[in-house]
Amino acid sequence: MMKLHTYAKKAAVAAASVMVVGALAACGNGGDNAKDGDKEKALTIYSGQHTEVTEALTKEFTKETGIKVDVREGSSNELAHQVAEEGDKSPADIIFTEETAPLVMLSEKGLLEKIDSKALDNMDDQYEDPDGTWVGLLARSRVVAYNPNVVKESELPKTVFDFAKPEWKDKVAYVPTSGAFTNQISAMIMLYGEDETKQWLEGLKKYGKQYKNNKIALDAVEKGDVGAALINNYYWDNEAKEKGADKMNSKLYYFGNGDIGDMISLSGAGIVKSSSHKEEAQKFMEFATEEKGQQVLTDTSSQYPLNSSVDTKDMKPFSELNPPKEALDLGEYSDGEQALELLQEVGLL
Amino acid sequence: MLLLPVFIFIFVACLPILYIILRAYEAGWETSINLIFRDRVYELLKNTLLLDVSVTVASMVIGVATAWCTERTNLWGRRVWNVLVTIPFAVPAFVSSYSWVSLSPIFEGFFGAFLVLTLYSYPLVHLPVAAALRGMNPSLEEVAFSAGYGPWKTFWLVTFPQMRPALFGGALLIALHTLAEFGALSLLRFDTFTTAIYDQYTMAFNGASAAMLTTVLLFLCLVFIGVELYVRGKAKYTSVGRGVSRAREQVRLGLVAPFVQLGFLVLTVLAVGIPLGRLGYWLLNGSSASFEPAELVGNLFTTLSYGLGGAVVTVIIALPLVMLSLRHRGPLSVMAERVPYVVHSLPGLVIGLTLVFFAIRYMSGIYQTSVLLIIAYVILFVPLAQSSIRASYEQAPERVEEVARSLGRKPMSVFFTVTLPLIIPGIGAAMALVCLKIMNELTATLLLRPTGVDTLAIRVWQHTANSEFAAAAPYAALLILISGVPVYILTMRSFSSKRSERV
Repeated sequence: MMKLHTYAKKAAVAAASVMVVGALAACGNGGDNAKDGDKEKALTIYSGQHTEVTEALTKEFTKETGIKVDVREGSSNELAHQVAEEGDKSPADIIFTEETAPLVMLSEKGLLEKIDSKALDNMDDQYEDPDGTWVGLLARSRVVAYNPNVVKESELPKTVFDFAKPEWKDKVAYVPTSGAFTNQISAMIMLYGEDETKQWLEGLKKYGKQYKNNKIALDAVEKGDVGAALINNYYWDNEAKEKGADKMNSKLYYFGNGDIGDMISLSGAGIVKSSSHKEEAQKFMEFATEEKGQQVLTDTSSQYPLNSSVDTKDMKPFSELNPPKEALDLGEYSDGEQALELLQEVGLL
Repeated sequence: MLLLPVFIFIFVACLPILYIILRAYEAGWETSINLIFRDRVYELLKNTLLLDVSVTVASMVIGVATAWCTERTNLWGRRVWNVLVTIPFAVPAFVSSYSWVSLSPIFEGFFGAFLVLTLYSYPLVHLPVAAALRGMNPSLEEVAFSAGYGPWKTFWLVTFPQMRPALFGGALLIALHTLAEFGALSLLRFDTFTTAIYDQYTMAFNGASAAMLTTVLLFLCLVFIGVELYVRGKAKYTSVGRGVSRAREQVRLGLVAPFVQLGFLVLTVLAVGIPLGRLGYWLLNGSSASFEPAELVGNLFTTLSYGLGGAVVTVIIALPLVMLSLRHRGPLSVMAERVPYVVHSLPGLVIGLTLVFFAIRYMSGIYQTSVLLIIAYVILFVPLAQSSIRASYEQAPERVEEVARSLGRKPMSVFFTVTLPLIIPGIGAAMALVCLKIMNELTATLLLRPTGVDTLAIRVWQHTANSEFAAAAPYAALLILISGVPVYILTMRSFSSKRSERV
């Protein structure tokens, strides 16, 4: 007994000293972000884009300009919410999101800086904010990924609205928490009214299978757990690039008739007003919109570049897509508020 | 002297509640009521309660059974089993959950969630109960036997009451953890309040709806704490004298032994074999795995320093809280003991958002630094430290302190020379437990970490959330490996090495 006690004491002392050293180390590597005095100018980017996409772009940017970049990852909405919460104390210089709704929200709150014309001129006007506070960098299409062993192509409907019907019970996957899905809801409300959209959501809730993100939904289709999934084109394109398109169990289906199921949405970026590195941030925007940056973005993300001089390789050519034209500018619905309220009302959130 | 840190802590721990109230106030009454009383909330309530109650009950049954078999019987290979049954504790639930999902989609939903969380949680009962069984005075049971009580009657009337505080303390922690579990449930596609709150935050820009969901969660947690208080009873347990530890008569299993062995085997395969087996499979078949060793080492260092640093601070905060609640009766001491538990059941995300909210407004200097993150860990895990320290403190006789004081020692010196040596085991266990939990923490870390700093848990989560399992494998393997150290410490030593009896 006594022996055990002295041993325990010794062990405890040893453990305690290790812990204290650990504690000091933990506090030591605390302020290691750009905040403690600008030893060197580093940009802080809040990014909701996929890791490898942001990483490739920032690496190339640092190589080109020598400006270091710190990336903070999260979901686009969450990060935008964080910038809104941080207000004028935000450590973020750039916000890069997967959808435009969060950018519109920040812009409406007056938290985004006007982007220099150099960057804006690289892009077609229809892909940027009229006031120039954000710019679209990439476009993607909503699409249906389906598994031919479960559902034949001939069984697929002519409109995305039909997926909410009882014959699709347990056969269709959707991701109510994805930004692109919300964006689609915003467009539906604008084009078809709240009632019709609500009915569609209620049908999906009743018959469809919810997944937490597009990648997992696509995997479920690949494995044959569900027949079809409503996702964005690049999830499939990316996987096909990795595995080879012929090794994919699933195929892509475009409605091809201007249906809202083929809606295009934009991923974009803006400069945060409270940024203390505005000059570097403008440089970054310039880089992300010019040919070199756009090529990097396209190659790593399998999304469509908005700078038309870039090569899209194996993807279905942008010109062949037939999205609903009127859904690009969502007007008063562009900040996604109504879509969220409707999702809550239906009980998907 | 003792009161100042307690006041400060209670204040900080109440911040999340203040935050929720502020958010509700912003939203206005009508919106708040509408957000609370909607069908979705009933759905979530049903899911949350069903999962929570079944996981807690199942964990209690398994934990008591394993603890009793390893401590009180002549089971062959007891020591080995004792280590094996606690290993699941070192495997984060969000890692093991994918092992199951990737086997078959039938594990999605309630069944899978129940399975994964039970297998992950039962060590929280096994450990303190095993320690309590070890620390009991054999004479009590011997007396019961000599009075003609059968084994069952002795168990229920003599053994069970003595392990009640340990058992229900563990059960309460499980119930609260299950309320706040996020990663595993997100992967298993089973929605509870916590996953819904997370969805709200990643989607919605205003926190009103999430704050309302949080109020319901808080209410649930108060109910659990009330239940635990009720069943724990009012008894005080302290030991009288040092006594001598002596071997006890072991229960001979006889013909039942093979079945017990089989039970242990099945449990180990389910809780350890499958998650680790799948992990091994990904490690070997990593096609999407491309990682830089330098990065891995960096993440490892971050994880360890947060784990150790956070554990030290948490224990330092927990000590006065425990001393206050055991040595001074009164409303403040009840608060000191209970408030942390309430906050503990809140998802890490809520704590994270609270701290973001207050740090930006009043302490922008520590925003997005490790300091704020450590504060979050303290708020989240103080109850774990409290329950471990409490278990040994309860058995440290007050009279010894009184004698020391009556001999003219000052309170501080009494603490360091008399009390502290008595509760060293509890402190060690608390450190190990908190360190383990911090290393596996996900949501608060995501929100509060300094930009560009990643822990192993975050790496694993980022990859598994995109179903890049091979890429997640090296990080997960390393995380499990270092989590093994505190778990080993917990199994090797009891929460109390002394005997206790009812006074």
